[in-house]
Amino acid sequence: MKLIRLAAKNLLRQKRRSILLGSAIAFGILFVTLINGFTGSFIINVGENFSNLLAGHIFIDGVEKSETGKELYIIRDDSALMDAVDASGIDYRFLTKRSEIRGSLLFEGNGINQSIVGADWSREGYFKERIILKEGSFDNMADPQALIISSKIADRLQVELGDRVIVKMQTYTGQQTAGDFTIAAVSIDTGLFGSISCYANLDYVNELLNLASDEYLTLGIYLPELVDTEPSTNSLIPELEKRINLFSRETAGDENPFMAILEQQEEEEWEGVRYRLSNINDILSEVEEIVRILNIASIVILLVLFAIIMVGITNTFRMVMFERIQEIGTMRAVGMQRSEVRQLFLLEALFLALFGLAAGYLLTAGTMGILSSIYWGVDTPLFMLLKNGYMTFTVTAGQILLNTAIVTLLTLAAAFRPSDKAARLEPGVALATEK
Amino acid sequence: MAIVSLKNVKKTYPLGKTEVKAVRGVSFDIARGDFISIAGPSGSGKSTILNMIGCIDVPTEGTVELNGHLTSDLNDREITRLRHKFVGFIFQSFNLIPVLTVYENIEFPLLLGKNVPASPERKDWVNYLMDEVGLKDWTKHRPNELSGGQRQRVAIARALVTKPELVLADEPTANLDSETSEAIIGLMKKVNQDMGTTFIFSTHDPTIVDLAEHIIRLRDGLIDSEYRRDTEGGR
Ligand SMILES: Nc1ncnc2c1ncn2[C@@H]1O[C@H](COP(=O)(O)OP(=O)(O)OP(=O)(O)O)[C@@H](O)[C@H]1O
Ligand SMILES: [Mg+2]
Repeated sequence: MKLIRLAAKNLLRQKRRSILLGSAIAFGILFVTLINGFTGSFIINVGENFSNLLAGHIFIDGVEKSETGKELYIIRDDSALMDAVDASGIDYRFLTKRSEIRGSLLFEGNGINQSIVGADWSREGYFKERIILKEGSFDNMADPQALIISSKIADRLQVELGDRVIVKMQTYTGQQTAGDFTIAAVSIDTGLFGSISCYANLDYVNELLNLASDEYLTLGIYLPELVDTEPSTNSLIPELEKRINLFSRETAGDENPFMAILEQQEEEEWEGVRYRLSNINDILSEVEEIVRILNIASIVILLVLFAIIMVGITNTFRMVMFERIQEIGTMRAVGMQRSEVRQLFLLEALFLALFGLAAGYLLTAGTMGILSSIYWGVDTPLFMLLKNGYMTFTVTAGQILLNTAIVTLLTLAAAFRPSDKAARLEPGVALATEK
Repeated sequence: MAIVSLKNVKKTYPLGKTEVKAVRGVSFDIARGDFISIAGPSGSGKSTILNMIGCIDVPTEGTVELNGHLTSDLNDREITRLRHKFVGFIFQSFNLIPVLTVYENIEFPLLLGKNVPASPERKDWVNYLMDEVGLKDWTKHRPNELSGGQRQRVAIARALVTKPELVLADEPTANLDSETSEAIIGLMKKVNQDMGTTFIFSTHDPTIVDLAEHIIRLRDGLIDSEYRRDTEGGR
């Protein structure tokens, strides 16, 4: 108790020095917690942006083995799927039925390989809000052959609103065919992932793919929250298995479930119609790897930063020991044990660490507040990492605990040698030392 | 039994390639309740001897007995406990802890060790001592707000707070003017008479030396003369 008060008072003795060291600790914490916070949101934001783009969190598509052994992607009759969704009792916002063309878009000698998603726009109102148009409007989608392309594709093809572009493609059975679209709108390019798709009307896409109007390729289930993905997947699987032949998502170890599906599809002997269930986490597992690397990097940065800060702390405590050498001698003379001298200095270091940590977390909260109130826009390459154009930060209690423990332990470690030296001083020598 | 007993104590300090013989063979006993001055010119070994009595330095040769304990038999922990319980220190430059108030400085040794007295008792005792040394209005002041004489009074109170049997004062008046010096020695003498505490103080100031009942004069690390007022009377 007496040591605690004395240590606190001693820390305040050289305010400027304490503030300097405390600030160094605070900045270390700021830096690392910001990275943690950013990467923590990274996965969530990428997940949400992906689910918006793909209009779903869980996806089911059908694969059919033809007589010639060719795999055809098609959902002919989705009543079993719908029954399963109903029976599973999962909560969803909406269902999407989409078909997709993979082909080449051609315009006046320019060509580009591109996938074109066909969606039923009358049912995808939510999705409409997610696409930000630069030119044109959704009203133009009334044209059955309308096409929305991103500004990047528009530049590459050098097309303008109203131009007609050709698509060279295959039907679902693999027949070469071609179609033509009218550029109805140009969307803002939302970075890396934003230009994945062009969008068209489901009916025309189906027609080109040679599908009937009630057929399509992928059923998307849009859930209320990203975190519902796994639980809903797990509820859905048994219901699907009762009704249809589903590829198993079971994996040995932490392999990506979708990879397991592809393996079965390629290597197993099977026939008839089978279905594949994938979810947003299958896609995100790659992103999770990036997040893991970033978090490890942040710990490494913290350690490197702290190696530097520790040198400062050690030197300061050496100086402090020398400045107070008479005092140490006096305290020892009046009956303080060596161990108590050590404790006194270590407590001072502990308070320094706590002060730095508290300041660091306050600073972090403030910085996060400011950064997350800035609108970065939706047409930035960072779009995928943002939430509707805003930065968000998610830090777990575990990360804070880990960073706090690292900083506290390293501060104590840095102060240990000088503290121990102070404790080992012979009282007579300490008292006789001239400064 | 003598409270302090030195037998053929020698102390050499290494100094570069040579060594300094600070104390070259000193033996004496100090009786309980003594009020003794160790006098001598600068460099004669006064501080060295006091430090060895106070167990903050160890002799190179010879033995120091404190209250019947041979100090060379004790480890650092035991020595520290002995110092805490048995010895009080007063220093030439006061050596108060600057961040603590007058009250806290005096109380400080009481909070060390295992048997910390209960709060009300402790408070009464510290207040009593502050009153005794004439500082009861200065409780909350920091040492740097006090005069030299006042600081040394705080140091005296601090030295007495654990009720030690022996108080060592190395040149307690060297940083004070002569009037204050006499007042400080007077205060020490009063405590010596009231509480029976043994005082050993060093000085090279002849007028201060004269205030002691028992005087050991040193020269070049050896006892030059020993003088006892009560047995030999007068001066
Ligand atoms: N730690 C030390 N290292 C080397 N020499 C020392 C040390 N302490 C004391 N001495 C030497 O020992 C001798 C005796 O010193 P001491 O301090 O005991 O004398 P003193 O009588 O107290 O003198 P003063 O009146 O100046 O305080 C001196 O020559 C001093 O230089
Ligand atoms: Mg001296």
